[in-house]
Amino acid sequence: MDIKDVPCPFCGCLCDDISVRLEDNRITGVENCCTLGNAKFLSKGRLQHPIMRRDGKWVEVTYEEAIDETARILSDAMRPLLYGWSGTIGEAQVVGVHLAEEIGALIDSTTSVCHNPSILAIQEVGHPGCTLGQVKNRADLVVYWGCNPIEAHPRHMSRYTTYADGYFIDNTATDRKVIVVDIRRSEGAKIADEFIQVKPGGDYLVLSALRAIVRGRGDVIPDSVAGVKKVQLQRVADLMMKAKFGAVFFGLGVTMSRGKYKNVRNAIELVSELNRKTKFTISAMRGHFNVYGFNEVLTWMAGYPFAVDFSRGIAFYNPGETTVIDLLERKEPDACLVVASDPGAHFPKSTIEHMAAIPTVQIDPCVNATTALCQVQIPVAITGIEAAGTAYRMDGVPIRMKKVLETEFPTDQEILERIVTRIREMRSHG
Amino acid sequence: MRFALSSGRTVPQGSFIEHKLSKGYQRATSMIYIHPLDLMELGLESGDRVHVTSDFGSVVLTTETTEDIQTGCVYIALGPYANAITGGYTHATGMPDYKDITVEIEPTDDPVPTVWDLMEIVGGLRYGH
Ligand code: SF4
Repeated sequence: MDIKDVPCPFCGCLCDDISVRLEDNRITGVENCCTLGNAKFLSKGRLQHPIMRRDGKWVEVTYEEAIDETARILSDAMRPLLYGWSGTIGEAQVVGVHLAEEIGALIDSTTSVCHNPSILAIQEVGHPGCTLGQVKNRADLVVYWGCNPIEAHPRHMSRYTTYADGYFIDNTATDRKVIVVDIRRSEGAKIADEFIQVKPGGDYLVLSALRAIVRGRGDVIPDSVAGVKKVQLQRVADLMMKAKFGAVFFGLGVTMSRGKYKNVRNAIELVSELNRKTKFTISAMRGHFNVYGFNEVLTWMAGYPFAVDFSRGIAFYNPGETTVIDLLERKEPDACLVVASDPGAHFPKSTIEHMAAIPTVQIDPCVNATTALCQVQIPVAITGIEAAGTAYRMDGVPIRMKKVLETEFPTDQEILERIVTRIREMRSHG
Repeated sequence: MRFALSSGRTVPQGSFIEHKLSKGYQRATSMIYIHPLDLMELGLESGDRVHVTSDFGSVVLTTETTEDIQTGCVYIALGPYANAITGGYTHATGMPDYKDITVEIEPTDDPVPTVWDLMEIVGGLRYGH
């Protein structure tokens, strides 16, 4: 049996044109997907039972025992941390936020270590953005800045930019120009019309130089800026000003390097500057398939997009203080629940040292690096393959994720609901 | 020798992301990309191992040459190896410095640790059947 139009639960492109071939409740073929998505659809090997550490050894336990232990850990904690959320659906995230409020936890998502600076910049200067459909149909100039679409979002170019047909674009191969800005000559850079190779940490300077040129003050620019020649900057600024509709996409190269949210702010301000001359938009290349969704859910429930601390009984947001890395670096949490992400593989060493030192529980279908840091792991259904629900694409468009396989594994949402119920029971019995 | 190290996504790293304990993931995330001229200066060949040390930690990685980066810069896929040398300080932004980390690189014959090894170094416990 073939199921058409399945959204891919891997990256923020959330391609919703995947065909999946099923035989005996197994996926035997995938069409339209990229290598990354394919690997996820066809992935084998998962954790079969909940596991718990006893006397320095892993033992298999029942769901009942694992949920009991998790509820006990979370209700005993003074400063619980609930982290992750980007790899699950909005419906499960809602339960997570309720849980955080109920136990006075700090809740944060992988946003904190990817596009948190983009959100901070947007909160300062706004977001001249648009949906990917607008880009596909209108953009005659696409700028990839500090991101690596071919490697991180492999179908971004074929679905929305360089190789995608557009309603107002006659010939996408010749009428759509691509500029790539990066510290290394990535695969994307090799097919760009202009590749700007910036020295590490030089994005802010190059953005400022472009702003000056667009403003008509090219005279103040030195011959070379962060390793980029002035003639090239001039050429790129001209391309930008001549475009009918330009779209900037930026990634972790901008948000993670020195300057952080100030880099993003500068990029947004360059786009505002360009909007005095033509039409230009800017958007973040969001990583996990539903990282954007968590920002939506938390904003509509608590008023802020990430890093919300409920310990005062109200929603308190102060990035730099209530963000997960800072919290762990200060060694504050005394318990941690990780859902649908893998901080063990993605957090700095000093922070995961603290996670290993406190009772940490993980809800995830697979054994991953974080497993080693946990006391308990509860395996669940794979969201977007074995569980349906809502996810938000990188441009904020909600897409219904499908369930294509039957499974005996409970969903994230069910496990979280059972944890909440168990905590309530424990509390009502004092 | 001193270098500016950045980390980021690569396709091999991404396609093993559901199998973080596999050899493939280990290979993909423990490879350090370096310019051939820099490698020559270190007296090494592509595939030789190096000790990479920052202010925050140290880890053994396998070199892979590429002319796609400038001399003086090195690149590694994001993952537990990159994080073994990343600090947790965020300049009050919530975001650690994952890019442009100053590192010292020297040749070594030590083996590249596994992901489980790295997790046990920070106090974790490997899970195996
Ligand atoms: S680009 Fe992203 S969403 Fe699309 S198929 Fe590849 S991994 Fe899946």
